[in-house]
Amino acid sequence: MTAEEELRRRQERFAYYMDLVGHDVLNNNQAVLGYLELMLTNPDIDQTTREYALKAITNVRISTALVENIKRTLATRGLDPSSLRPIDLLKALHQAERELKQFFPARKISVTVSPKVDEAYVVGDAVAQELLLHAMVNLARLDLEDKVEMKVRMKEQQCKGRMCWVITIEDVNAELPASVLDKDIEEVYTQDVSTSAKLTGMLFARMIASRLGGEFHVKALQGPDGKLGTTFTLALRKANRP
Amino acid sequence: MTSVLIVDDEMFIVELYRDILQLRGYKVVGTAFDGEEALKKYSQSADKPDVIIMDHRMPVMNGVDATREIVRLNPRQKVIFVSADVMVEKEAREAGAIDFLPKPFRMDDLIEKMERLSAAK
Repeated sequence: MTAEEELRRRQERFAYYMDLVGHDVLNNNQAVLGYLELMLTNPDIDQTTREYALKAITNVRISTALVENIKRTLATRGLDPSSLRPIDLLKALHQAERELKQFFPARKISVTVSPKVDEAYVVGDAVAQELLLHAMVNLARLDLEDKVEMKVRMKEQQCKGRMCWVITIEDVNAELPASVLDKDIEEVYTQDVSTSAKLTGMLFARMIASRLGGEFHVKALQGPDGKLGTTFTLALRKANRP
Repeated sequence: MTSVLIVDDEMFIVELYRDILQLRGYKVVGTAFDGEEALKKYSQSADKPDVIIMDHRMPVMNGVDATREIVRLNPRQKVIFVSADVMVEKEAREAGAIDFLPKPFRMDDLIEKMERLSAAK
């Protein structure tokens, strides 16, 4: 067996076990989520218990997102982005906002998109849709306020020699760990275990964006009152309306 | 009262659906832990369930094959497909599933779909 064959065999085996584990975790998350929701239907529970349950729902959803990130990363290995259907970013952003609110039912979340454009098609279908959602979820996780305000800006621009839609998502209250400011995500992830746990989602976002032929960058954002927020920049290849 | 058959190989998932559906006033008329058992129970039952909640990844016979066989027996049978495998949605719909929910989903989403199907009965 050649080294390439051995590597492929190991990758397949790893993907198989990850698939089995991921499936079990999602089933268990379904049960936890279901019973938490069932508990919340009881009008007699007090406000504090209700808030604890809502926070637990958020964490079940984040654990689900982590599993889905791994599954998506494995599924998109060797992907040809042009084989995916185009998706309208505007619709995808609205859908992501709806799902983001379900992730954090205890928080007030608002997302404003500018400037107004009629349509913005990119390659990526459901993969791009999930990528947007995961970027927003990661940003919301860095923001510890009850009220989360995200600003999304869109523009057309060249990236990797092609026309892309570039989406920046800003949150002035989403604070990056000081040790990762202005560093490359992959560098932090592989060299600093203490902060890497916070950045797993961003690492996956970057891997998936790259497999779609795009880019994903993280930057600190100077906000008002000396606050240091975060900006995610996602570039996805522009596509024609299907 | 809308009747439901639950098909899933995980006992705790079957219990969860049963708890929630019964609480919301649905009648759980049966459960099955694989596709073949579901098909057998379905074909032997005199009163067919109004809705079947069908998982995909199960031993013996998977959810897509079971759905296809059940819909072949009764093209009007309503099947809500639920699975952690989102990639299987297209196949499930082609087999005859009327709707699809990716696991984990909100119970309100399941109830909303159940209500819509009950109203269309």
